Amino acid sequence: MNPVLEFERVERSYKKGVPVLDGVTFPVEPGEVVGLLGRNGSGKTTLIRIAMGMLHPQAGSVRVFGWSPFENPIEVKRRVGYAAEDQVLPGHSTIAQMTAFHRYLFPSWDTAWERQLLELFNLDPAARIGKLSKGQARQVALLCAICHRPELLILDEPGAGLDPAARREFLEASIQLLNREGCSILFSSHHMTDVERIGGRVVLLDGGKVFLDRPLDALRENLCVALVPKASAAESAMVERQPGCLRARSIGEDWHAVFEGEPAAVSRQLAASLGADGIRCVQVPLEELFVELLGGQR
Amino acid sequence: MMQLIVHPADELPIYRQIMRQIVEAIAGGRLRQGDKLTSHRELAEQLVVAPLTVKKAYDELELLGYVETQRGRGTFVCSEPPKMKPAEQRERLRAAARKLLSEAYLGGLRFKDAAEILREADREISSGEPSPASGIWREKEES
Repeated sequence: MNPVLEFERVERSYKKGVPVLDGVTFPVEPGEVVGLLGRNGSGKTTLIRIAMGMLHPQAGSVRVFGWSPFENPIEVKRRVGYAAEDQVLPGHSTIAQMTAFHRYLFPSWDTAWERQLLELFNLDPAARIGKLSKGQARQVALLCAICHRPELLILDEPGAGLDPAARREFLEASIQLLNREGCSILFSSHHMTDVERIGGRVVLLDGGKVFLDRPLDALRENLCVALVPKASAAESAMVERQPGCLRARSIGEDWHAVFEGEPAAVSRQLAASLGADGIRCVQVPLEELFVELLGGQR
Repeated sequence: MMQLIVHPADELPIYRQIMRQIVEAIAGGRLRQGDKLTSHRELAEQLVVAPLTVKKAYDELELLGYVETQRGRGTFVCSEPPKMKPAEQRERLRAAARKLLSEAYLGGLRFKDAAEILREADREISSGEPSPASGIWREKEES
């Protein structure tokens, strides 16, 4: 089957010589849930806007269901649900007017599900959007993105501004959507526990490129963090030279290094090559991996 | 079926947490031969995790011989739990016991304390009490 979404060597900069995206290539396959991760400013929103045809890449291409979102915007938008990070909804209209408008735009709009989600999110259809809290307005935007039961859902920071209960409710709605066959999701997020809950694959952007692209479980089970006392390696380069090391950073008296492989094997390998005692290797949750791969030195 | 709990920030990936709890339920007799598991889609909605994650847990359990999927009917606990050769099983259990005792002795516990921990674990497995989140990163709770 062809990918539902495909980025091919996408490049984009806002300032000459300072690329935000510097050759990004990855597909989203049918049925996949891909979590797009990266630090602030790593280009997640830029990439998502390119997929939606809102921003042209300066080189490379994007295909959605095989179409260019620039040449076939209607064909693409019919089948895609999208919520931006800073979605602006008309403040003077009511929630009911918003959903009526979307129902009119999308023949596949699911009114029963809309009612169910309004209840789940505890939203009053008669409320004016301008009077809602930031989180509630976000829930309306998300509802509008999913109620036509899109084949591909693209969400920029769906959890931003939502309290933990509202985030969980939104994940519940996404899982209902996934349980219908054929839906794929690309979402950016800083909430690693949300990514662990619904993500199938993780794409990590760094320095304008795809730094890691792997199934979430493989990331969790095939990578480990080694805590190496500085006494046994004078420089981070000594640790980073070890086979399988993705990155080492300084944390107080230790190097924290992310390695490919089983903790026991990595720890044997390091003990042999650095001849050090007291090296500890552990598998860690996604949040810790993110910090160890992209965090600063201390 | 039974109450499962997942911790996204645990050291174990979610599909392994699901597998572990189902295996414990079978071992503790809370899930019996022929019992039907909640469908993977339904369990995904209950736990608020991706349907494919639950599917992966079920598939792995099937590979290991704990459950079997009957097309169109659902997933059931196998009538014959997977059997190892008795000698091989004793060997593996002895290795696990040595690991447990080493950890206990290094931590200053005595044999009696380790035996008490085993008894507690036995009670937990039979009653279905959820095991604590594992690992040294446990303090990282969900934000």
